[in-house]
Amino acid sequence: MIEAIGLVKEYGDHVAVDHLNFTVEKGQILGFLGPNGAGKSTTMNMLTGYISATEGTILVNGYDMLEEPELAKKSIGYLPEQPPVYPDMTVTEYLKFVTELKKVPRKDREQEVERVIEVTQLQEMRNRLTQHLSKGYRQRVGIAQALIGNPEVIILDEPTVGLDPKQIIEIRDLMRSLAKEHTVLLSSHIMQEISAVCDHIMIISHGKLVLSGTPEELQKKANQGENLELEVLGTKEQVNGVLNSVASFKDVIEIPSEKENGYAVRIMSNEDVREALFFAFAKANLPIVKLVRNTKTLEDIFLEATSEAGEPVAEDKTQEESITEHMTKEAAEHDSDL
Amino acid sequence: MIAIYKKELRAYFNSIVGWLFLAFFFAFIGIYVYLYNLVSGSTYIGHALDSVNLMFMLLVPMVTMRIMAEEKHQKTDQLLLTAPISIGQIVFGKYLALITLTGIAMLMVCVYPLILAQFGIVNFAMSYMAIFGFFLVSCAYLAIGLFISSLTESQAFAAVMTFIVVLVTCLADGIANLIPGTAKAAWVTYSVIWLLLAVWMWRVMKNATVAIVVFALGECVLTAVYLAKGTLLEGTVEKVLGAFSIMSVYSETVSGVFELRMPIYYLSIAFVFCFLTYQNIRKRRYS
Repeated sequence: MIEAIGLVKEYGDHVAVDHLNFTVEKGQILGFLGPNGAGKSTTMNMLTGYISATEGTILVNGYDMLEEPELAKKSIGYLPEQPPVYPDMTVTEYLKFVTELKKVPRKDREQEVERVIEVTQLQEMRNRLTQHLSKGYRQRVGIAQALIGNPEVIILDEPTVGLDPKQIIEIRDLMRSLAKEHTVLLSSHIMQEISAVCDHIMIISHGKLVLSGTPEELQKKANQGENLELEVLGTKEQVNGVLNSVASFKDVIEIPSEKENGYAVRIMSNEDVREALFFAFAKANLPIVKLVRNTKTLEDIFLEATSEAGEPVAEDKTQEESITEHMTKEAAEHDSDL
Repeated sequence: MIAIYKKELRAYFNSIVGWLFLAFFFAFIGIYVYLYNLVSGSTYIGHALDSVNLMFMLLVPMVTMRIMAEEKHQKTDQLLLTAPISIGQIVFGKYLALITLTGIAMLMVCVYPLILAQFGIVNFAMSYMAIFGFFLVSCAYLAIGLFISSLTESQAFAAVMTFIVVLVTCLADGIANLIPGTAKAAWVTYSVIWLLLAVWMWRVMKNATVAIVVFALGECVLTAVYLAKGTLLEGTVEKVLGAFSIMSVYSETVSGVFELRMPIYYLSIAFVFCFLTYQNIRKRRYS
């Protein structure tokens, strides 16, 4: 449905999107995940033809965005970061204008406006000027606008920003129901949101794709990083002996023990062996003083993946350092003044 | 395109801007017709229209300042540019709305010769030609305003810039008369203009070296021409400035000489600035 091949966007020297490749299949809900400034909005703006790519090809519904922009754009409904509403129009007027803009046949226009108003539950606000709407309602008008004309592909840039929890749940349900007939692409910087709705997740950072897969695949990846922390009152030999009798663990790393006569290890294991360990050590008369299972959430995977690029963290640090430096300098000057 | 056209027209008449435009328009025309026709006892409306150019300074920025700038400011350009219509249709739809607004006003002006006919003999052919010419002048100015509005996100900036540009075109003849026709004056004038261009280049390209080199090269050529054959520059300032005087072509029409040059001149200006607007929006997608 959507195909992006070697997408690049450069702003002067700054590379906002760096050779991004991906495909979205029909009926899929794809989630774009990334911290602020990762290039999510830029990518979406390119996919919808608002800005053009420095390099690369975009195919929407089989149409090249560069060569057949009107046909490609016709298959897309887009909600940008900021809902593109005219403050001096009422909700109905605005949606009517969008039906005209998107070339909905004249006789279907009214019906189409009614349909999207119902789907996004804007009935009560229909005669209000959009400038008098709250952020959440304006967001809904933006979503309604994207649905007009029943486009095959719906692209939503942070659709739940500014909505209250009840509305968020409603919008999530709406997106799931949309996915039955449409292809949905949405972005967010919140992992839970993406994992709750999407059946495919793409994590991008610094304009690059760092991780991609279904939520299950990512969860599996997360599980691989599971470990157990074990602290036993006993010697190294005793502990290792018992451990080997339970199972042959591949990675057993010694970690400093808090107790004087204790011995602590970290065991990498995808399975939960706490029960077996408990009985084994009890049998050997070695008291376990600590047994913790560290699991990873998708959130951890996201944080790991996005900080792996490394650069921003380092940059932040230097900035912080320079700020503290500056502050101490200032303080010193201040002192000398006194 | 029709969607955009309807939206723009509705925006004018749903807000105060459209009505204010019409009110000011008729206030201006009314005053000038009173002075040039009723008081001085002339039945030819052309004299009034030819003198009313002051009106453009106020009314053109008023209607064009928001037309492009506001879309960018509100981010509604994201809706328009991702809709299945071309940039050309967007620009043309908007321009057409501007033309219609002025057209409505001009239609009302068409009544004036009929009123004047009550007081004497009116040359209807000349009068309506003058009105038609005036409409074409408006078309040209509105296209310029449209283009300036597309350059910025700020309505205020668009308004001020449009005001200045219209002012310069109105005063071009006057300024030209102030500058002596000698070669030396021409050399100084061109140097200043060239310097301003170089500064603009430096601002846009952010490359001081290129700007300085371009300025130095141009200045050398200019000085060489001045020193070697100063007579070439004599009287050219007046001609160059005269080219900016948009109203002067219209003045000839008013005096009763209708030439095909007049509509072609104004329609070319309108076309060029609509095209520049189109290119400007297109270019923005690449930056």
